[in-house]
Amino acid sequence: MGKQYRPITPGKKWFKALVAKIVLIVLGRAFQSGARHDPDIKKEVSAWPEGFIVIMNVLPFGPRMALEKINGRLKYRGTKYDDGDLVVNFKNLECAFLVLTPQIGSAQAFAERRMTVKGDIAYAMAFTRCLNTLLTLLYPKFICKRLLKRVPPMPLKKLMVKVVVNVIGVPFGL
Amino acid sequence: MLPSYYEFFNPVKILSGNKALDNLPYELDQLGVSRPIIVSDKGVVKAGLMKHVKAAFDSSGMTIGAIFDDVPPDSSSKVVNDIAVVYRENGCDAIVAVGGGSPIDTAKGVNIVISENSDNLMEFEGADRLKKPMQPFVVIPTTAGTGSEVTLAAVIKNTEKNVKMGFASHLLFPKVAILDPRMTITMPPHITAATGMDALSHAMESYTCLQKNPLSDAYAFAAIKMISENLPKAVEDGNDEDARSAMANASTMAGAAFSNSMCGMVHALGHSVGAICHIPHGMAMSIFLPIGLEYNLEKTEKYVAELLLPLGGMEEYTKMPEERRAARTIVLVRKLQQNLYDLCGLPRNLKEAGVPRNKLESIAQAAINDGTLTFNPLEMDEKDAMNVLNEAYTW
Repeated sequence: MGKQYRPITPGKKWFKALVAKIVLIVLGRAFQSGARHDPDIKKEVSAWPEGFIVIMNVLPFGPRMALEKINGRLKYRGTKYDDGDLVVNFKNLECAFLVLTPQIGSAQAFAERRMTVKGDIAYAMAFTRCLNTLLTLLYPKFICKRLLKRVPPMPLKKLMVKVVVNVIGVPFGL
Repeated sequence: MLPSYYEFFNPVKILSGNKALDNLPYELDQLGVSRPIIVSDKGVVKAGLMKHVKAAFDSSGMTIGAIFDDVPPDSSSKVVNDIAVVYRENGCDAIVAVGGGSPIDTAKGVNIVISENSDNLMEFEGADRLKKPMQPFVVIPTTAGTGSEVTLAAVIKNTEKNVKMGFASHLLFPKVAILDPRMTITMPPHITAATGMDALSHAMESYTCLQKNPLSDAYAFAAIKMISENLPKAVEDGNDEDARSAMANASTMAGAAFSNSMCGMVHALGHSVGAICHIPHGMAMSIFLPIGLEYNLEKTEKYVAELLLPLGGMEEYTKMPEERRAARTIVLVRKLQQNLYDLCGLPRNLKEAGVPRNKLESIAQAAINDGTLTFNPLEMDEKDAMNVLNEAYTW
């Protein structure tokens, strides 16, 4: 009898999915905190309409995280929403892993079409600027150099924000 | 050097050259359709170009389902919906766009609402939102610059919110693009110049921006050579069919390049000055191109230096020391700009283009929110944009 051909059930990338899930939680909390303490992120978010929902999602089945502007503040909403006014989709888990770990920056990820956007491009640009600011608050300069086109200076005031975001923002979302 | 990853897609069949337009019914038949709607504008009709299109259908056994020739210069969602009604009422089965960027983008919008069986174009704004197969779509460009005949994108004004909406999907590509020199021959010199500089900016930005890749590079390189050799000729003598054909081909190649590798700050600024001051896109591209090349030089010197070969020719390239080639490329772009100003008065700066100085701040704010900026090699924030705009104002 010849070779038997049967359907193959693909495996699961549980480790990368777990990492992506954890980083999205950290990012969500950091965003909530950054929007409260960082003047640049605060300024961008102030231009978004009340109730504005931003989603970062890994296709096809997640993980994902949502941010919502409530009472003028940006709140991390976990996985509450699966659709929003602005949805940033990673095409697959590997793409998400590259960006979230962070091996490549958002500009490179968009350029390589590893990420797509649904929604108003002007808001997507504002969100990207916030994300870039957040990266400077979360990571040291030598990592940011790889991720960003230009690393902004870190004056004392900004350094204080960085400490706040990392010490109470990420653990408690404050 | 190869990028770590890239994507390239260009499924458009190109028909180019003498009497290319007469193959339109054959191509429609190959696509299994026989009752197309023609989407165009008054400029095309006034230039007498529609008669070539109609004549192509003579003795073909096909019916022109309808001719909608009222597309305004700024295509809008309302126009798209109006055309969709005409399409349905006349039982059309394909779309033929005849014109420049506005009729082509409008036709893409019509294709979206017809194919998705919707009456709300806004549902599909953004990238990769379309799922259903599109209607057969043929494009006959009457300008040589937008490259829209080979791109996956369309920009259409939202009449309710008064903002421009972007649509991008590989399903938006036309099936066929027809480059017939008869269709660009009536283009006046200043439009020939402006649209030609638009094509040059597509090619140069696609060669120097973040998403550059070997396939786009090949198209861009060839386009720049053709533009450099033929744009002044086409402006000087509009009846030069060879120059017209070369420019049409160059525009298509530049379109294929930037549709895949995208553009950068030159387009971000150009889109914004166009939206706020209603400056023709090609004119804005001509003004911002040399400034954009200079701005990014720190990161792109090698690529800009390579462009001296197609832009200046072999002799210019070989006699120039390697370290001076990039600067020389920019000088040659400036020279081309000056040449076009001398030939037809194409503005060299924002002041000549009639941009009020008090609008620069709003242009800078709009530019940093333009999606193309993502692909620019260097960061440009609002302050940088203001510096660039001030430079472009009186250069």
